[in-house]
Amino acid sequence: MTQALEGRTILVVEDESLVAMLLETILEDMGCTPLGPVSTVEEALKVVAGDAPFDGALLDVNVAGKEVFPVAAALKERGVPFVFSTGYGEGGLPEEWRGQPTLQKPFTEDAVQQALMKALGVSV
Amino acid sequence: MALKELAKSGDLGADLAAAFDASPNPYMLLTPELRYAGMNRAYLEVTQQTREALIGRYVMEAFDAGGDDHNARRLLGSFQKVLATGETDHLPVLHYAIPLPDGQGGSHYVDRYWSCTHSPILDAGGTLRFILQHTTDITELQLLRRQAREGGGAESALDAIVGGGVMARAQRVQEDNRRLEVERGRLIDMFMQAPGFVAVLNGPDHVFEMVNPAYAQLVGHRPVTGQSIRDALPELQGQGYFELLDDVYATGEPFEGKESQVQLQHTPNGPLATVYLNFIYQPIRDADGRITGIFVQGHEVTDSVLAAQRQKLMIDELNHRVKNTLATVQSIAMQTARSHDDPRTFAESFQSRLMALSHTHDLLTRSHWEGADLAEILRHETEAHDPLRLLANGPPVALGPAAALSLGMIFHELATNAAKYGALSDARGRVMVDWSVADQTDRRLTIEWRELDGPPVSTPSRRGFGSRLIERNVRHDLGGEAELTYAADGLRAAITLPLDRGHDQ
Repeated sequence: MTQALEGRTILVVEDESLVAMLLETILEDMGCTPLGPVSTVEEALKVVAGDAPFDGALLDVNVAGKEVFPVAAALKERGVPFVFSTGYGEGGLPEEWRGQPTLQKPFTEDAVQQALMKALGVSV
Repeated sequence: MALKELAKSGDLGADLAAAFDASPNPYMLLTPELRYAGMNRAYLEVTQQTREALIGRYVMEAFDAGGDDHNARRLLGSFQKVLATGETDHLPVLHYAIPLPDGQGGSHYVDRYWSCTHSPILDAGGTLRFILQHTTDITELQLLRRQAREGGGAESALDAIVGGGVMARAQRVQEDNRRLEVERGRLIDMFMQAPGFVAVLNGPDHVFEMVNPAYAQLVGHRPVTGQSIRDALPELQGQGYFELLDDVYATGEPFEGKESQVQLQHTPNGPLATVYLNFIYQPIRDADGRITGIFVQGHEVTDSVLAAQRQKLMIDELNHRVKNTLATVQSIAMQTARSHDDPRTFAESFQSRLMALSHTHDLLTRSHWEGADLAEILRHETEAHDPLRLLANGPPVALGPAAALSLGMIFHELATNAAKYGALSDARGRVMVDWSVADQTDRRLTIEWRELDGPPVSTPSRRGFGSRLIERNVRHDLGGEAELTYAADGLRAAITLPLDRGHDQ
């Protein structure tokens, strides 16, 4: 695995701790620092509105029964790139968010890296 | 006085009433309930009745045909036809006995032949207010014919003179009409009994001419007949259906609607309901090919549309859950792999975690994913161990799916750890699991796992996947706290979590 994303801090929004742990492990292997993980939309909005600096975010689309799109909108406004992760597929995204880098669950380490690089505009 | 002059006189109503009363032709007016609303002098003369005796009376009671049910039904049928169609109906020859005073204070039935015309009188809004009967007593003509027949020979000549040929033709026409009427009745019966809804709209304003019971039910049993669709079903404004009808009427192109959504007042005086309809608007043409109306036919498909929507939602939800579960399994595999160098111990450990997840799924499936009981989950995850050495004690606690899945994994990790290193790893140790629910308004579940009498415990040098999973799961997925204490006489795990989180799924 390349270290193209080394040193970046990535916010993880994911309600299932096992999946969150997997993402943390993958991020750490890539040399990133995971932020969070947070398991609700409210907590995620607090982090986005807060002072903690971070370079990107991984957003589970359905977080504890709520859609994550308010967090996506807040990130867009703050200019922070992000990747959706979903079991629904890109077809499950509303029109507004189509085309956003999206991870299909379950995901490979490679897919996580590719999606983050695409979102952050990093080339190998 | 001609009608135009009457109109000019400025007192049309009074003048018309006077003209009506003075007419040599017998007239009478019936309400839609077939009660006498008025009659002129000629009518009173021919029936030898008084105004007071008739006004307000049901016509079929005032004149019951003296027991001649066949002809009573014909007369009633003609009135009903006018009521149903709003069109004039004729009875060229009606054999109808009427009661006449017998001179001794009583009455007796006298045979009479009549020729009647029944016309609808509509108000400005097009609603039928009265039926006007114009009736002529043709008894003498008929008697002349009969006498001629009985006298023999001169029948056809006399018939010709008194118009018997005309009468015969009229009777033939009437016979044809009767036959057509039967056919029309049969067609209407078919419409009426059709399981789908049927309506006939007339003219460019789409005035309801008839609707069947299924259509009446669709529109909440509102009276629509005789009204334009814009007046009868105002809630359709802005939903595009009026424009579609205008279009079909203008172009003659039929329109077919599939699973078309309509906001409709579906129950009497009820709120707007969303219904889905399959329907067709078919133009009706007259003999010259001109469009005179629109035939509406279709059926409600709300149930099947909603069922299809529910099914799609369920498939999406199922897909979401399956993909999430796969991601969970992927995580278990990756984390397990990192703590096992030996592929055999990895496989064993991975499989037992997979089985733990699967057991809780089984429990949840039994309740249609509504939840599971805490004791049941504990029993499922620890059934490989001696029940006498694992003592569970606590009240029934219904857990939602997320809490059930988490606690299933947690109990599995604790039991596996106890069997490998803790109280269940030798012959003497025991495990006590106690739980309770505090604060019934904002319920918190406290679980205590205590290992006793096992081998001496020391704090592990490195936190394994099991202990990380327990802490993370409780905190992250359930919004609670978990504390693992490696006490010398045995491991303790204290878990508290809120039971009534808004989102548990």
